[in-house]
Amino acid sequence: MYQFARFAATRAALAVITLVIVSFIVFSLMELVPGDCAERYLAFKNTQGSQISVADIEAERVRLGLDKPYLVRWGSWIFNAFQGEFGDSCILRVNIAQLLGEKFWISLGICLTSLVLAYLIAIPVGIIAATSKNALLNNSLRFVSYLGLAMPNFLLALMIMLFSTIYFGDSLTGLFSKEFRNAEWSPERVRDFLSRAWLPVFILGWSATAFAIQTVRALMSDEVGKLYVTAASARGVTGRKLLWRYPARHSLGPIVNSLGFDLNRIFNELPIVALILTLTEAGALLIEALARSNDQQLAGAIIFLLTASIVGINFITDIILALTDPRVRRSILE
Amino acid sequence: MTDTASIENTVDQKTKEAYFTASQGQLIWSRFKKQKAAMVGAAILIWLILSGIFAGFLTPYDPTIAGRDKTYQNGSPQMPKFWDENGFSARPFIYSYERTRSIKTNFRWVTEINKDKRRYVVFFPRGDKYKLFGMTFDRHLFGVDEGKIHLFGTDATGKDIFSRTFHSINTSLAVGTIGVLIAFVLALIIGGVSGYYGGWIDSILQMITDAVRTIPAIPLFMAIAAFIPDTVSSEGRFFIISIILGFIGWPTLARRVRTHLLSERNQEYVLAAQLCGAPARHIIGRHLLPSFTSYIIVDLIISFPYMVLSETALSFIGLGLKEPVNSLGVMLQNVTKADVLLNYQWNFIPVIFFITLVLAFVFVGDGLRDAADPYADTKK
Repeated sequence: MYQFARFAATRAALAVITLVIVSFIVFSLMELVPGDCAERYLAFKNTQGSQISVADIEAERVRLGLDKPYLVRWGSWIFNAFQGEFGDSCILRVNIAQLLGEKFWISLGICLTSLVLAYLIAIPVGIIAATSKNALLNNSLRFVSYLGLAMPNFLLALMIMLFSTIYFGDSLTGLFSKEFRNAEWSPERVRDFLSRAWLPVFILGWSATAFAIQTVRALMSDEVGKLYVTAASARGVTGRKLLWRYPARHSLGPIVNSLGFDLNRIFNELPIVALILTLTEAGALLIEALARSNDQQLAGAIIFLLTASIVGINFITDIILALTDPRVRRSILE
Repeated sequence: MTDTASIENTVDQKTKEAYFTASQGQLIWSRFKKQKAAMVGAAILIWLILSGIFAGFLTPYDPTIAGRDKTYQNGSPQMPKFWDENGFSARPFIYSYERTRSIKTNFRWVTEINKDKRRYVVFFPRGDKYKLFGMTFDRHLFGVDEGKIHLFGTDATGKDIFSRTFHSINTSLAVGTIGVLIAFVLALIIGGVSGYYGGWIDSILQMITDAVRTIPAIPLFMAIAAFIPDTVSSEGRFFIISIILGFIGWPTLARRVRTHLLSERNQEYVLAAQLCGAPARHIIGRHLLPSFTSYIIVDLIISFPYMVLSETALSFIGLGLKEPVNSLGVMLQNVTKADVLLNYQWNFIPVIFFITLVLAFVFVGDGLRDAADPYADTKK
């Protein structure tokens, strides 16, 4: 028990260090943008008709704490970020945490659902692909998963839009129908959401599934030939029972370990898919913030939250892996 | 009897000798040749690369606004024909078209096809100027005797989609090459240092590498690309985008280099070099890296399509390349409009070429990875 607690503490510390480095990268990116918040506020005031001078800008800088040294500002930013507080966006002049709130959870939900879906499909299919001797089945599975790798999600989204507009006359875009867009959560709204959210889940899950099939297949075909499998089959264990109890258990360990990076890959595609399907969630906000309004506070907050959830998943999978596999625990501590 | 046996024996000897004296490259090639899918992929890839390089010659018009066809905007693809109801012609032809507007068309501009007036396909006509290997040419592979021919149709401003497609293959290959090279150099330096020295240097570098790997790449690309001022010329933008792609693509490769170095650095030949007084830079560059060149090359080829796809995605959302530089992302910028989706589907033709390009790369990379693995034969 003590050993396990120490392991968990080490991993948690590593996760926090990773987040600190990430926050430094993100914060530096935000700072590199020409012009700061003080100038933006006053530029806005200027458009409202009031006269402003250089002294006003300086005063505003002091008020916002922008005159403090770089590292101090980074420190306070990260301190607030860990509490889920990202300050106000100086372009939209609203609180970022409030603006993001629900949208971020929707995005995370969509991504996690497609990740789960991808593995629900990939694990059985990958095991079949690794163990079956049917050449036709193997080659067609290989081709499908290659296609998943080669056809980026946004092209798939475009193609689906193309066909659905031609054949159904509806482009299937958006997360909510018009009447539910700004409504409170209710059973009807949930149903409406689910009837539309399957498309982004499918599109994001598509290449994740292809990738996962490749991984499962490679890991399984490494394990299947090993002697302990032969020994087990010599003892009379056969068929599905043999595969599940022996090679599958071994080969799924690395997969649990790489879940965080799978989530990373899905997040990667999210903004662009969101743009094509005109979703109203965090991915779309990110594009909006970067490509149109140059709103670095908002963009920084989103990237930081995305990364934080990846680091979080990595931490959880490490713990799960250690719970199921004592070798992992020991390797960290020694 | 003995004669044939001895001949067989010598033939056998020769093949064995050839096998044991073969260089690493020859061995990889002989294993690569056995994989049908990878060979087909390689053939397609070479064809696409060549058509990208010679895009200016192969396509009839300038891909930028300068080569646009004012009389054929949003025009559908034209297939050269040999035969129609007006009779047979040995030379392929297309119909001519006119833009008209009258009370019949409700005063809107409408393109009308005139089936009686044919335009014949000609080979090696003079046309728009293009540059190849630093020289300027104006001969193209094909064209028509009057007016213009658009095999894949035209876009909203009348630019020839066929010409744009081939030029954008060229762009993608160039972006990918620059990006992969920068990522490669960074990965060699960072992975090399971290793997060779080990210890605390390794720990710190690994921590940074892992942190960079944790940030989703495309949002990070977008954040950096958003800094490029609008005043930068399109060529400048092209280089900056390639450099950014390279700067974000290094961590995976760096990790690979490090893992190899960590296992290699305790070998005797490294100790020998150290005892001879060779500096670290020399040992890494001269002794360690060449020991797994083939893996590095394979990794580069595998990471290439991801560079191309990232560029496409970035350009597609408007943060990457911009006109007049052509790339798939630039071409696809406007296709999400309902108008295009419903009426002008030929805007999607370039997508086919790109999926082919990426698939070819993936197949070749996979085949090379299997071929470069010296234990591939013994495993199965």
